[in-house]
Amino acid sequence: MFSALRSLGRGSSVQRRQVWGLIFVLPTVIFFIIFFLYPIVSGLLFSLTDFTLLRPPVWVGLQNYQDLLKDRLFLKSLSVTMGYVVGTTVPVWVLSLLAALLFYQRFPGREFTKTLFFTPVLPSLIVVAIVWRILMQPNGLLTQLTRPFTGLGEVNWLSRPDLSPISMIIINNWTTIPFYMLIWLAGLTGIPSELRDAALVDGANRVQSFLRVELPLLRPTAVFVAAISSINAFQAFTLQWAISPGRGGPIDVNTTMGLLIWKYGFQFYRMGDAAAVSVVLFAMILVVTVFQLGLSRGEQYSLE
Amino acid sequence: MTRLTPIATISPQPALSLRLAHWWADLRRHPQRILLVLLAIFVAAVFALPLYFMVSSSFKADQEVLASPVHWVPQDFQGLTNFQRAFDEIPLARYFFNSFLMAGVDVVVTVIFSALAGYGFAKFDFPGKRLCFLFVLSTIMVPFQILLVPLFIQIHSMGWDDTYAGLIIPGIMNAFGVFMMRQFAYAIPNELLDAARMDGASEVRIFWQIVFPLLSSASASLAVIIFLFSWNNFLWPLIVIKSEAITTVPVGITVFTQPHSAQPQWAVAMAVSTLATLPILVLFVFFQRYFIEGFVLSGLKG
Repeated sequence: MFSALRSLGRGSSVQRRQVWGLIFVLPTVIFFIIFFLYPIVSGLLFSLTDFTLLRPPVWVGLQNYQDLLKDRLFLKSLSVTMGYVVGTTVPVWVLSLLAALLFYQRFPGREFTKTLFFTPVLPSLIVVAIVWRILMQPNGLLTQLTRPFTGLGEVNWLSRPDLSPISMIIINNWTTIPFYMLIWLAGLTGIPSELRDAALVDGANRVQSFLRVELPLLRPTAVFVAAISSINAFQAFTLQWAISPGRGGPIDVNTTMGLLIWKYGFQFYRMGDAAAVSVVLFAMILVVTVFQLGLSRGEQYSLE
Repeated sequence: MTRLTPIATISPQPALSLRLAHWWADLRRHPQRILLVLLAIFVAAVFALPLYFMVSSSFKADQEVLASPVHWVPQDFQGLTNFQRAFDEIPLARYFFNSFLMAGVDVVVTVIFSALAGYGFAKFDFPGKRLCFLFVLSTIMVPFQILLVPLFIQIHSMGWDDTYAGLIIPGIMNAFGVFMMRQFAYAIPNELLDAARMDGASEVRIFWQIVFPLLSSASASLAVIIFLFSWNNFLWPLIVIKSEAITTVPVGITVFTQPHSAQPQWAVAMAVSTLATLPILVLFVFFQRYFIEGFVLSGLKG
């Protein structure tokens, strides 16, 4: 790179000027080398060591990964994470699209209504956890509102092993649906209304025109919402940490891989194991990312 | 004034009365559509309910928070007592200072360096540009959790444990910001930059006096989004923070998520939650346009 700089220095003034581009970009690039590239590489290396912060790391090769395959808690966290990913991504995808269609209608007070709908996106997940912990008390608001349908007097939303993961999904849906609604809405707004009008003139009804004309045009948005919501769900941590009994309980039904990284790394100081779980999680997310890029080839990022 | 927005600009709206008349005529032709409008309002109310509950409960007495059936309006109105108790209970003022400090530094550094890098990528052609850009872009695709363990060990070995530097610096840059600014910087006409160069302006001066002001709308969108992310950031602060002196709001208020005391202070928890959300709500009310734009851009390009 430096020899390139020198050769540029000898060039014309227009060429010399281009060096400024490199200078403007350099702080960001250097930052990411120090706080992104270096930790990524060292994380890969840590996963091959037996590191506890207390003594220097010892090289153990793939031992950590082999141990993970026999680790009951890790295997549990795999299934918990997959359940959470499916349980959040699918309903969020459908419901946020339906919400976008609702708020795509024009009616007086639409902006205000949309703002109200959007409020769950704003508070931090810790605030969300504090509020929902109260709403999900056995005799709390959620029990009261669902009583006409369930007939149950008291519901232990958070401490029943069968119900607790579903409660996490409910809370996640509440905070994320308005966000993805916005993404769908931006996609819908980008479709020229002439296309829909043409379909309507040709005798299609509203549902047909949506399914045949608009949905295919929304393909990049559809892929994006599915990919980003699942990638975020793979990383689930804060909600489970803050609200599930005993941080991941009861009986580990809420111990996601994200939570396991924290437990191994920062409760037990088994940094090698934590790094190995991180690498596995990264690999899983990478599959989704590659899948997404394949489905939306060239639409997301262009170099020029 | 050149308006630099690559996303679709909203066409000027007809007068409100005209829109209302049009809506009314439409409704009379398809009366069943009122049901969909009512459904939209109902859905919005359901989603807003938990935060309404939070705010209204922060004025209730502790036992009234869990009243069954729920009290939608506080009956035993407590005024600001619960907020006062919150400040007595935990060093909330300190937490707020730290959160504002972290969010402020994050916003300023991210906006300036993203604009700088975005401009560099958009308007210059230097050796290694493609490689640099792909590298910066690749950071978007790696979730932060993957970096958690190695980054903590790195900060630990740098001696930044439990310091503002360790808390703030690793999150100070954001590839999405670079990407977003690059898109906006493309829209700046080259003639404008060349004219300034003819007048003998230095490249640094061109950036500060021409490019950066033209990126102000994009900067505002980026700033509010970075503020929100930073204000609500939890995982990294949880790992780094050990002492109260640098504790941020989300980490500080975790004592209210799993209270160990026999009698949880529900109303104080609600007051603290309301306070923790207040800065975001205020920003959202005043800068909604930038929030929405930032969200959509971060969504579409992130």
